Amino acid sequence: MLEAQNLMKSFGALHVTNNVSVSIKQGERRAIIGPNGAGKTTFFNLLTGELPLDEGRVLLGGQDITKLKPDGRARRGLGRSFQKNNLFDGLTVQESLTLAAVTALGKSGIFWRDPANDDEVVQRVKTTAQQIKLEQVLNTVTDNLSYGQRRQLEVGIALASRPKVLLLDEPTSGMSPEDTGGMLELLKNLTGEVTMLIIEHDMDLVYNLADQVSVLNYGQIIFEGTPEETRASEEVRRIYIGEWGEDDA
Amino acid sequence: MIKQETLRTFLAVLLVIIAVIYAVNAGYFGKEILAEILLFAILAMSLDFLAGFGGMVSLGHAALYGTGAYFYAVLTVNYGWNAPSAMAAAIFFCGIAGWIVGAATARVRGIFFIMATLAFGQMAYVYVFENRALGGDDGMSGIPRLDLSLVGIDLVDPTNFDIFLIVVAAFVFIFLMWLLKSGFGRTLVGLHRNEMRMRALGLSLLLHKAAAFAIAGGIAGLAGTLAAQHAMFVSPDYLDWKLSGLVLIIVILGGLGSLIGPVLGAAVVIILKHQISAYTEHWAFFIGVFLIIAVLAGGHGLYDLLVKLNKRARRKATKPEEVVDA
Repeated sequence: MLEAQNLMKSFGALHVTNNVSVSIKQGERRAIIGPNGAGKTTFFNLLTGELPLDEGRVLLGGQDITKLKPDGRARRGLGRSFQKNNLFDGLTVQESLTLAAVTALGKSGIFWRDPANDDEVVQRVKTTAQQIKLEQVLNTVTDNLSYGQRRQLEVGIALASRPKVLLLDEPTSGMSPEDTGGMLELLKNLTGEVTMLIIEHDMDLVYNLADQVSVLNYGQIIFEGTPEETRASEEVRRIYIGEWGEDDA
Repeated sequence: MIKQETLRTFLAVLLVIIAVIYAVNAGYFGKEILAEILLFAILAMSLDFLAGFGGMVSLGHAALYGTGAYFYAVLTVNYGWNAPSAMAAAIFFCGIAGWIVGAATARVRGIFFIMATLAFGQMAYVYVFENRALGGDDGMSGIPRLDLSLVGIDLVDPTNFDIFLIVVAAFVFIFLMWLLKSGFGRTLVGLHRNEMRMRALGLSLLLHKAAAFAIAGGIAGLAGTLAAQHAMFVSPDYLDWKLSGLVLIIVILGGLGSLIGPVLGAAVVIILKHQISAYTEHWAFFIGVFLIIAVLAGGHGLYDLLVKLNKRARRKATKPEEVVDA
């Protein structure tokens, strides 16, 4: 579904992404892990088109999207959430999700109808709100949500566009343990149709959610396997010593 | 006592009523001032749509206004077009011009955007100023007004012309309110609030901003054709950046992003201008002082002041109920 082929990106002499290839099947949930500074965010930005590639190709559903800008890639079905909440301040949950739905349904050019009267948009907003468990606070202004709820909305805005591939940048970043559990449930409940690539620090979440794990270190993929294999890997353990190696022992 | 959305409608209706009463009862000079206010109100609504809702603070808006005025003047005076076709052509042309400026500046932000629009405006100004075929700095005169004699209205009469302008201004207000509630309008506001997110959702920055600029340009052009008809004369002053500045002041003073605020702002600024002009020619100085006070007082303009007063009144009115609820 999503294929990165030999991605290269350097900042000066520093190879931040060094010949990275990842192939994700339809319906797969792939986690990208790695220590701080491993190049996870750069890799993510290369996929979304936020950063231009030095070399390599990005394919979505077999189509080359390397030359497309972030909005073009999004229109082809690449959705993303942000590591830091990137919401619409001052708008309610409903209004925020409506914006996402209107844009994704290609109705942002319609100037003769209020999307509040458009069944397709309204239905999309409703189901998305249920998926992210915010249907009770639809009319709450984003600024007044709890942090956990804001994280849920962050994922929800990306989800409302019904992407073919959903890229999640540390969805539980900054969340309390209880909220993290809620987020895990939420992501697990998304039916198998959506292909997911997730960058995450929380290992419990990764092992519970992902089908496949890719480990990034110094800009290179050094390991790929199931969560069980990753957990057992001596090499991965070595990289992470001091970070979470002990937790697993 | 009133809800905010209702407050806007209420204020709009109130302003229309006041304007109609004034148009009928004022003396000749008063009617001229009202026409000036209405022209600025239409131009200011167009700029507010662009700047207040779309986040594109343009300092070249007068250029689109002046282009509309000149386009209308040339088509009617030099080519003998009838007024309705000339108006339609001028609005269309200004829409296209707006689209081009919007597309060219779509990726430019902040101060650079202001400078870019100023540069576009000055280009148009200099072109008109230097062009002898357009009368150069003498401008053009003998511009006809729309002929509504078929429906029994003589637009040469200042009262009728004022009422005509009121109808057009009301139509522009309703059109923009309706537009802002549409998918297009909502995503435009979304783009203003969070450009990066809207792009990540697949919105084309260039197409969206250019479309918004085209609409604002068309309305500015409409205001220009009306200004040319009102004065029956056009001059390069119509495209002057100082005029763009004045409209921006009107929008900010009235309340950026409120649509009705700029209408109020137009009334206040133009009335102040004429009142102060009676005593001193340095009226702009006092408008400046007024603007500084308004910005220091919160910077959200006259409309916001009304919203706050209204909220306070509501709180007072609902207090007893809250006690009962508790």
